[in-house]
Amino acid sequence: MKIVVVDYGMGNIKSIVSVLKYLEVDEISVSNNPFEIASADKLILPGVGSFAMAMSNIKKLNLDKYLKDAVIVNKKPILGICLGMQLMGGSSTEDLHSFGLGFIQGSVNRFSAPSLKIPHIGFNQVKVNNNLKLFRGIDNVSDFYFVHSYKMMSEYDINQSICHYGNDFVSSYEVGNIAGVQFHPELSQTNGLKLLDNFIKYL
Amino acid sequence: MLRKRLIFTLIYSDGFFNQSRNFRLQKVGDINWLEKNYAFKKLAFSLDELIVLDASRGSRDIITFAKNLSRLVEDVFIPICAGGGIRCMEDAEVLFKNGADKIILNTIIYENKDLVGALIKKYGSQSIVASVDYKKNDVFVKNGAQKIEVKLHDYIDYINSLGVGEVYLNSMENDGTGFGYDLETAEKVAEIFSIPLIVAGGAGNGEHLSEGIASPWVNAVATANLFNFIGDGLPNARQEIISSKGNIAQWK
Repeated sequence: MKIVVVDYGMGNIKSIVSVLKYLEVDEISVSNNPFEIASADKLILPGVGSFAMAMSNIKKLNLDKYLKDAVIVNKKPILGICLGMQLMGGSSTEDLHSFGLGFIQGSVNRFSAPSLKIPHIGFNQVKVNNNLKLFRGIDNVSDFYFVHSYKMMSEYDINQSICHYGNDFVSSYEVGNIAGVQFHPELSQTNGLKLLDNFIKYL
Repeated sequence: MLRKRLIFTLIYSDGFFNQSRNFRLQKVGDINWLEKNYAFKKLAFSLDELIVLDASRGSRDIITFAKNLSRLVEDVFIPICAGGGIRCMEDAEVLFKNGADKIILNTIIYENKDLVGALIKKYGSQSIVASVDYKKNDVFVKNGAQKIEVKLHDYIDYINSLGVGEVYLNSMENDGTGFGYDLETAEKVAEIFSIPLIVAGGAGNGEHLSEGIASPWVNAVATANLFNFIGDGLPNARQEIISSKGNIAQWK
């Protein structure tokens, strides 16, 4: 099993790589090279920071095209984490308006309920969706670690699980080979390790 | 429901980890001592986050600090926040590359607003924690060595305007005493706050941590007390909080 962590210059990749090593993945590569991406069995799209800056980096590196080939044409399983999860949606209102990779139907907006502290930081309870392979063997209503100011909503069935902060928002989705989690499984103790192990084994 | 957080703060200085009391540091041991007495991989299981601060007074060596950080956080799968002495973009980058998920800033919050802005732009506001060392209404920078002219209330207002992700409010008077948190001040400043608040300084036992977590003004409690929570101290404290129905995350 070869997993490529897609590197577009944003986010703490070190913690993801340590978890993959801990889970004994045979080959782990951190790269933005098209051949590496094409040779991966599975992909992880990480990310922390600004949506617009991330999309601009991704386009500069032609990663939008390489990822589309890998994920849409060749159906490689991909897991987007935090910003990576949001980037696979259609659009975001962060820094005016930006378009995402558009792999799934969802839009990203800032948390806006009154008197709500932003960013949303810490463990929060996720209502587990048992249709998601990612949550196999994980109890309903489990704690995962979040750190974000923007949230994804979707009017479409993207097989999502929900979390609540001010309002309900999409905390994870799984459409065929495309999966995303708003929380950080690599920072979510044993719950997160189990979820990543599920991604490696079942997606 | 969003959970409150239990954070452990490690104070590093010139190769050693320290116990701090009213901002005077006492060397406890180096990283080997820490690994032996605190079994970090196990301990991290009781924590929501770890903060590692470089409080070296003399010449700073961020590369050595980063090496210690990197070794410390290996196989520790919780959010790591690091800082102390960050003075430029490169300092921040070194820490992010060596395992930090967030950085904590103190002196440059006061002295270099532009740098803070550049760090927020590059890493996102959720990756930046502003640390505030205070004594009554006074605010101090440079490891508590320099009192600034701005009073606490106005300083919090100023921090709110910067766009950082969190505030780490550290009571210098309570620091290392084990008498409990200064929750009165937390309440006063929380009213002018729109970002999460971490309180630090004074926790000496599990009950203090529970009191902090129960406060509606507080989002996270931190302790840097190496002596009071040695061995099973932190796991037991977490269990105590869970048993008393404290709003804290659980995992198997």
